[in-house]
Amino acid sequence: MITFESVTKRYPGGTVAVDALDLEIPDGQTMVLVGPSGCGKTTSLRMINRLIDPSEGRIMLDGTDISTVEAPRLRRGIGYVIQQAGLFPHRTIEDNIATVPLLEGWNKAKARDRARELMDLVGLDANMARRYPYQLSGGQQQRVGVARALAADPPVLLMDEPFSAVDPIVRSSLQDELIRLQNELHKTVVLVTHDVEEAIKVGDQVAVFYPHGKIAQLDTPQHLLGSPADEYVENFLGFDRGIRRLAFFSAGQLDLETGTVLAADTTVEAARAAAQRCGEPWVLVTDGGNRQPQGWFAVSDLDRQPDRETLGSLSLPLAPLGHTFQVGRDSLRAALDATVLSRTGRAAGVDGDGRVVGITTYERLRAAIQTAEQAGLDGNPDQPAFREGRTTPEAQQAGADDAAEPAGEGVRPS
Amino acid sequence: MSYFSDAWNWLIASQNWHGSNGIPIRLAQHLEYTGLALIIALVIAIPAGLAMGHLRRGGFAVVTIANFGRALPTLGLLVLIFVLTSGSILSWLIPLVALAIPPMLVNTYEGVLGVDRELTDAARGMGMTEWQILRKAEIPVALPLILLGVRTSAIQVVATATIAAYIGLGGLGRYIIDGLARDEYNVVAGGAVVIILLALAVQGLFTLLRRVIVPAGLRGQAQNS
Amino acid sequence: MSWAWQNRDQIGHLLASHLYLALLPVLFGIVVAVPVGIMCVRWRWTWPPILSLTSIFYAMPSLALYLVLIAYTGLTDWTVIIPLTLFSLSVLIPNVVDGLRSVPPPVKQAAVAMGFGATRRTIQVELPLAVPVIIAGLRVATVSSISLVSVGQLIGIGGLGYLFTDGEQRDFTTEIWVGLILIILLALLFDGLLVLARRWLTPWEARAPRQERRRVVQVALRGANAGVKGGSI
Repeated sequence: MITFESVTKRYPGGTVAVDALDLEIPDGQTMVLVGPSGCGKTTSLRMINRLIDPSEGRIMLDGTDISTVEAPRLRRGIGYVIQQAGLFPHRTIEDNIATVPLLEGWNKAKARDRARELMDLVGLDANMARRYPYQLSGGQQQRVGVARALAADPPVLLMDEPFSAVDPIVRSSLQDELIRLQNELHKTVVLVTHDVEEAIKVGDQVAVFYPHGKIAQLDTPQHLLGSPADEYVENFLGFDRGIRRLAFFSAGQLDLETGTVLAADTTVEAARAAAQRCGEPWVLVTDGGNRQPQGWFAVSDLDRQPDRETLGSLSLPLAPLGHTFQVGRDSLRAALDATVLSRTGRAAGVDGDGRVVGITTYERLRAAIQTAEQAGLDGNPDQPAFREGRTTPEAQQAGADDAAEPAGEGVRPS
Repeated sequence: MSYFSDAWNWLIASQNWHGSNGIPIRLAQHLEYTGLALIIALVIAIPAGLAMGHLRRGGFAVVTIANFGRALPTLGLLVLIFVLTSGSILSWLIPLVALAIPPMLVNTYEGVLGVDRELTDAARGMGMTEWQILRKAEIPVALPLILLGVRTSAIQVVATATIAAYIGLGGLGRYIIDGLARDEYNVVAGGAVVIILLALAVQGLFTLLRRVIVPAGLRGQAQNS
Repeated sequence: MSWAWQNRDQIGHLLASHLYLALLPVLFGIVVAVPVGIMCVRWRWTWPPILSLTSIFYAMPSLALYLVLIAYTGLTDWTVIIPLTLFSLSVLIPNVVDGLRSVPPPVKQAAVAMGFGATRRTIQVELPLAVPVIIAGLRVATVSSISLVSVGQLIGIGGLGYLFTDGEQRDFTTEIWVGLILIILLALLFDGLLVLARRWLTPWEARAPRQERRRVVQVALRGANAGVKGGSI
């Protein structure tokens, strides 16, 4: 547990970077400090490993005032990741990662073993161990940076804009990687960013800073999106927070239409009857055996070839399936996205094996959102919220094999 | 033996301030040789450096000239040219000019090359001609380095002109070469002091010049650091 | 060239003495420059006075210094070695300082944050990373020193410079050519050796000869900032 007790940082010119900050960072959680540049978020972070000393107040780490610990010793117990990775150009990848263990006096063989272990953990190929940083891409260097910070297994990890220097695609995969690592390691992570998306994606808690060193709101991402404390936070979050917030509700809450999910060997007659019964203008055709979705037929088209008996024998073109969403894993945001993109205004929800579970429509989405909002307002804030692409404790038990898989990107093309 | 008192006594002796071997005449000669060599080198090196820098061509040649200029032993060059030209004015002028060119050339080239490429692209985008870009953007930015190049050359030529006394040139070097030949160590000592003072004076002059010529905004970049 | 072959013993002798006179100062220079450079980085206030000192030594005509020293050392090798050492220092100290300071801020920051103390950081991180810049300085110092030694011939201690004065007195061009070419070859040889040394010492650097050449030019420019190539006198 890291605790800021009315910490102030005032610079000689009179600038106040951090203003009487009180903040508790619980163990095993990811705390994101986000705000515009100059808001004091980085200063706050750098006070934790004493790269900067506060002017007033104190910072406690597990009950110890950090100003009483010798700085180099304190720092060796705290992992630190920075924007440009800051790798030592003159050391090989394995020696870079082994830096802190070697400082701590491990023998070289043990430190290198540890380095290899960490390379594996952060997804770096073992044959990179003997390379030098200049031979790696920006994303790989950043992975080395993370591995190096984790080398001595510090309970606390500080990350200062760790993914800002890489391109958006790499950034997204590094964020996924961090989420996956955190699921495994449960470090106390403090991450600074100016990117709200990033904060919401990786944070368990997000502290939004005002421009001058005060916290505007400290909350979980979904509460932040749902009820910003003031206009400043609302503007900072951006215009589509309503939709982004849906990422925190599981698509599992949708009441899916199952009546119009029809195997290819269904007779045209039966299909028309089913559509009528459900009041649906479209039916979803699956291949009979394992319910893999194929595409859509408009009910109005079903009469055009009266000589054909089953759906599968119709030679009419199917309307393309579009994106699907995975019911157990994806969010309402993914389901909405798939629905908006679909030509039919409908999207198929599938299970982990790609079998159709049911169909959603705008109407069904609206109902699910309403229910979710209601539950969110009345809900218990301590209850672990649904997070897109993350394994919840239950899911971990259900599918222990999948836990180590890289997190998904949400909607996948069918 | 007290070096500095010897030098001092020689310096204050009034006979050393008069006549054709007096300090003023020798100093004037020295400055004349230096000035002539510098002007010739300037006329060759600066336009060449500006052109190569502006076109961003010839980097390899410039680096080679710089390295070669550093490796070339000045005494050897003086003696060789002296023997080859059998004692005409060229025998000292060629080596002095040859040694003055590399520092000016390299500095000018590097100075122009150091101009931000975005700056020149922006200038081009605004419709400036190549000549205008050179005059309004590149030369002002390169000026501090060009000036340093000229200073380096100047001090180098002052020093080399001293050595040229060995092949019979006038100037302050005479005191040293003649003093050594005649075992008159007070003359050698006094001459050495005058030469050191001249080198420092030239350096001071250029420091002053830089204050006057170089725009204030650019002064920082060629600071002694 | 047959002249050179006939006199190979004498030339070999001059060559050895030339190298001794030229390289010893560079060796002294680097041994002193590294600790002094570290000091200038650790205690910033020491840097301005030392910089002024180095720029004065750089500008100081070396023949004049030789002459001043005769009074104290007599006519010995030290008469040449001491001024050349001062010259080497004037090239090397600014380079060591620059090299130590050229370590990218994120690297320095990372070292601090990982718990390196100041001394350990200087020795394990900053010094190794300064090697390319220091070697660039060594190249300038070495090449200049090799060419400078010959000026010492005017006071009778000049290694291969003997071939210049002797050739001039005998009006014998071949001898002068031999001296000139040998000195240039020596300079090129040691320059090349230093390039190899850098490659061997810094396997972490991308091979970029172009960048390497520019670094040497920039070191030479830095020298120019401090004063003049003392090589001329």
